[in-house]
Amino acid sequence: MIHSALRALTVVLLLAAAQITRADENPSNGIPNNTVRVGEYWIFYHLYANDVAGPYVPQGANLSVRNNETPYLAYLRRLSTHFAAEFTLGIPPLTKTYGKGPAAAGSVPYNGVELTTARWFAPSALLEYVFFDDSCRLRPYIGAGVNYVYFYSRQQTAAGNAVVGGPTAVFLPYSIGPAATAGLNFQLTPHWSIAASYSASRVTSRFDARTGGVDRTSQISFGPQTAVLAAGFSF
Amino acid sequence: MYRRGISIAMAWALPFALASAAAMLAGCGSDSATATPATSTTHGTLALSPPLRIASVDAATFTALIEAKAGGAQLLTVATTPICGVDFYYITFWTVGGAGEITESSGALMVPTGAAPACSGPRPIVLYAHGTAFEKSFNIADITNASNTEGALIAATFAAQGYIVVAPNYAGYDMSTLGYHPFLNASQQSGEMIDALTAARTALPTTYAASTTDSGKLFITGYSEGGYVAMATERALELAGKPVTAAAPMSGPYALEGLFDAAFFGDVNLGSTLFTPLVTTSYQHAYSNIYTVPTDFYSSTYATGIDTLMPTTLTPYSELFTQGLLPLTALFDSTTPVVPGLTALLAVPSNPNNPLTPLFAAGFGSPFLINNSARVDYAVDAAGNPDGTAVGSAALAARAPTYGLRLDLYKNDMRNGSWAPTAPTLLCGGENDPTVFFSVDTLTMAAFWSAVPTSPVSVLDVDPAAGPSGPYALIQGAFQASQVAEFAYLESTGLTATEAQEQLVQNYHGTSVPPFCSLAARTFFDNF
Repeated sequence: MIHSALRALTVVLLLAAAQITRADENPSNGIPNNTVRVGEYWIFYHLYANDVAGPYVPQGANLSVRNNETPYLAYLRRLSTHFAAEFTLGIPPLTKTYGKGPAAAGSVPYNGVELTTARWFAPSALLEYVFFDDSCRLRPYIGAGVNYVYFYSRQQTAAGNAVVGGPTAVFLPYSIGPAATAGLNFQLTPHWSIAASYSASRVTSRFDARTGGVDRTSQISFGPQTAVLAAGFSF
Repeated sequence: MYRRGISIAMAWALPFALASAAAMLAGCGSDSATATPATSTTHGTLALSPPLRIASVDAATFTALIEAKAGGAQLLTVATTPICGVDFYYITFWTVGGAGEITESSGALMVPTGAAPACSGPRPIVLYAHGTAFEKSFNIADITNASNTEGALIAATFAAQGYIVVAPNYAGYDMSTLGYHPFLNASQQSGEMIDALTAARTALPTTYAASTTDSGKLFITGYSEGGYVAMATERALELAGKPVTAAAPMSGPYALEGLFDAAFFGDVNLGSTLFTPLVTTSYQHAYSNIYTVPTDFYSSTYATGIDTLMPTTLTPYSELFTQGLLPLTALFDSTTPVVPGLTALLAVPSNPNNPLTPLFAAGFGSPFLINNSARVDYAVDAAGNPDGTAVGSAALAARAPTYGLRLDLYKNDMRNGSWAPTAPTLLCGGENDPTVFFSVDTLTMAAFWSAVPTSPVSVLDVDPAAGPSGPYALIQGAFQASQVAEFAYLESTGLTATEAQEQLVQNYHGTSVPPFCSLAARTFFDNF
């Protein structure tokens, strides 16, 4: 439900931004100041987690996350010839956490079992430096900023419940961390462009699974890196 | 431009506002549910439903786990190889403390699983009471804890053979917030056992092993303190008109007054410096008649904080001795108090013909736990109101005393009242038990009930001096062979024969007898 609402809100937001900022051109050179990008995110996790701690946890129990992809949406504001601000807002991907470590907890499979799922609402705000000048069609850029992740629809799977011993409430607090990006933008026409980028951000949280009165926790660093391929429209 | 500038700012702000709104919509807790806490604190209520399954092991995995434990191979030899897997559940439930306090307690629900016919469908319940644990953290459900040998024993002996096992941790242990343990309080402990049973029966249909159901057969057993608790529970259920299929109390201090009288007159049992603070704290909470201040009873060396000492938060509990909080063995002052007519009875034991004399004598020293003033008051009362075990009367009854501690022991003595078991009952123990004396407790109870027509009570001594005989001869023979093997093993570790014998005595009650009596109990239960 929330996922659908966010998807709709994102589309509405970008359309609204496009409408609000319509024909916002730099009067000196006629270059549009606003760009909307739509494309695809490929998310590569570099997860580091402490072994799960708490009562009745088999030794060496750890977690893993599988790579993911999701539609990418961004709004860029040209600030000057060399600077731009980017706000990205991908469709929140469903991220799955898997058991990693012992093959079984007792006789219940653990390693590789899908334990929990959560959606990531993960907007980023970046200030970018764009190389070369406006006359160049291919312009590399680098950027840095901040990434916010709110985890929602946190669910323990039935197999996850069986591993940990019963119905489980999963807590995964939000994360705020630095983000950096490097990319290339190729201007096809004055209004249309394509962009490719590679970004990294720090996303840390405290995984907390509560089952029947006991707490099992693990400090997680997801270390997501994202590759993006997107089409841009400037106005 | 100005208007557009504002609009652009809004365009930037809007996503964050929406993000915040979405976050608020999503809430800040979990999006999935865990167990539901009970709204009632009525005793017997399951506090969290469904209960946490701590571990789930199939028969092969369980066999491997036991084999990996110290002494595991021997345990499997005695308890036989598992035919069922076992799901270990951790139950929490509401009960009543020793002073009538509503309190929460915890325990184990072990459910047999697997394809064998004996592992699912309607299965009998074994209600098990564990032996005294000295560490507050004790949790018999935690099969993942390598030191939980009693949990492994009952799982292997009963659950892995098709019995559903319910075993409370007792109030005062594990997650219990009760600041003491109602040790040897018959009313509280039997009530808690029944509360655990009620909660477990509520929990059973909610477990992953819901195809394993309660057949309606109820067996009660327990070891040491648990043997006492098992008997008290059998009594409570039978007096309440609730059927018990059969019971097998094991090595329990049933004749409390007689056992403590023996100790106060010099037969100081092994472990008494640990048991005594548990007893006095329990009865002080229940009856407030042990002391006004702890130094009324305890020596000033150990009195400070003794009322909150047990069960201990120190791990291992031997830290109690290391840190000087309790004496290792010196229950009494080695300086004999002078009391007309009783001085000789209060002297340090020295009978050269009694093999237990060195053990008893070790109960005296300095510093000591119980002061001579309290000991003399107890002894005078015991001499004036002698327990049946002391006078050797046919009835072997406990006698109503006047001294506080002794009065409390009398109240909780299993001979107090007219109850005699109506369900088939096997009393199991070993006759050389240096902690809970077989003759004072097991044989006394059997003799006490011997006058009951068609008494369903039988006695098994796993270590008979006359050698194995009767329906449990195989178990008796196996026990005595294990004693020989253990002695040889101890000698092989470099101990002298005397040291090996001392170690054998120390292991007798706590580790040697339990597997064999437990097997006897299961063999007994299998008949019904």
